[in-house]
Amino acid sequence: MVSDAADGTGSPVVDRWTALDRGWQALALGLGIVAVHAAGQAAGLF
Amino acid sequence: MGVVAAARPYLPGLALLAVGALLSHLVAGAVDGLQPLVVAVAVGVLVGNTVGTPDAAEPGVGVDKLFLETGIVLLGAAVVVEEFLAAGPTVLGLVVATVAGGILLAELIARGLFRLDGTTPSLLAAGASICGVSAVVAIGRVLDSRGSAITFAAATVLLFDAVTLVAFPVAGEWLGLTGRQFGVWAGVSMFSTGPVAAAGFAHSPEAGQWATVTKLARNSLLGGVAVAYSLAYTARSATDPGVRRLWAEFPKFLLGFIAVAAIANSGLLSPAALESIGRVSDALFTLAFVGLGLSIRLREMREVGGAAVGAVLVHLLVVSALALAAVRWLL
Repeated sequence: MVSDAADGTGSPVVDRWTALDRGWQALALGLGIVAVHAAGQAAGLF
Repeated sequence: MGVVAAARPYLPGLALLAVGALLSHLVAGAVDGLQPLVVAVAVGVLVGNTVGTPDAAEPGVGVDKLFLETGIVLLGAAVVVEEFLAAGPTVLGLVVATVAGGILLAELIARGLFRLDGTTPSLLAAGASICGVSAVVAIGRVLDSRGSAITFAAATVLLFDAVTLVAFPVAGEWLGLTGRQFGVWAGVSMFSTGPVAAAGFAHSPEAGQWATVTKLARNSLLGGVAVAYSLAYTARSATDPGVRRLWAEFPKFLLGFIAVAAIANSGLLSPAALESIGRVSDALFTLAFVGLGLSIRLREMREVGGAAVGAVLVHLLVVSALALAAVRWLL
């Protein structure tokens, strides 16, 4: 989940995520949360 | 191995952070005027220094910095861009002056007054002037410092993180500073990002935002300071071009903070959506601050050397006094 796990796990998604610098992980998570809120707003939740 | 299997080692630690965060909200809800974020740090310190963090929980607890940085990215949703742009040049000037002046002052005090030698003064100067432990590690890497020198400087910075986390909010209250004044003061004077944000929010939400934004501006100078140090120490990293070093040390989550601030101020999201993003940011901060408290080991702090503590203390007193005068005069 954090960027210090360098060995392959067999899952491309996990490997790509763990290879990311923590700053990029935070950026991706933050923008993901904002995107979820935008989608929720479009769906009439907010 | 799938996503679920990869996440499994992190679950005990995440559960520990979640229980700590829940407890912080319950305690803060029961006592008038108590901030959940402050209680979260206290809960972490209490658990970390009594029962300790179980080995099984270590991987999950280590995610606290990711939570802190994601919380900061989302804090962009609460920022009123016009207000920050108006005060921006003043705050930016203060940040550059305190980082540049602070590094020179710390080098002078550590080498001249306290007779520290080698790369230790530079590690202490970077930790105290830019962004705490991450600056110590980054500059240590640039200068090829010994592992023991990095550990020593990092422990000194952590000691001051713990002390200033308590002292700054008390001083801010006593001095009667406004939220903006206190936030900028803490943002330019304190060391690591987590304690700066925690101290800011302990004062008020407005101070928390200003403290975080000011601290982010300071953190973004790490790359420039790393390049300056590598040149000052006989261009040891000549094979590593300056721009690459600048980018390598640049805190990438800062771009996310700016992007979220731009989205929030564009009017794309409704007030209810922005409020919900703010709640997610608060929750991430609470989790991160429990982790921050867990990482503060009071016993390890007694082993920090007297000369290093003296040098950093003099530096902190001078910088924070000058910064206090500046924020009172300018903001």
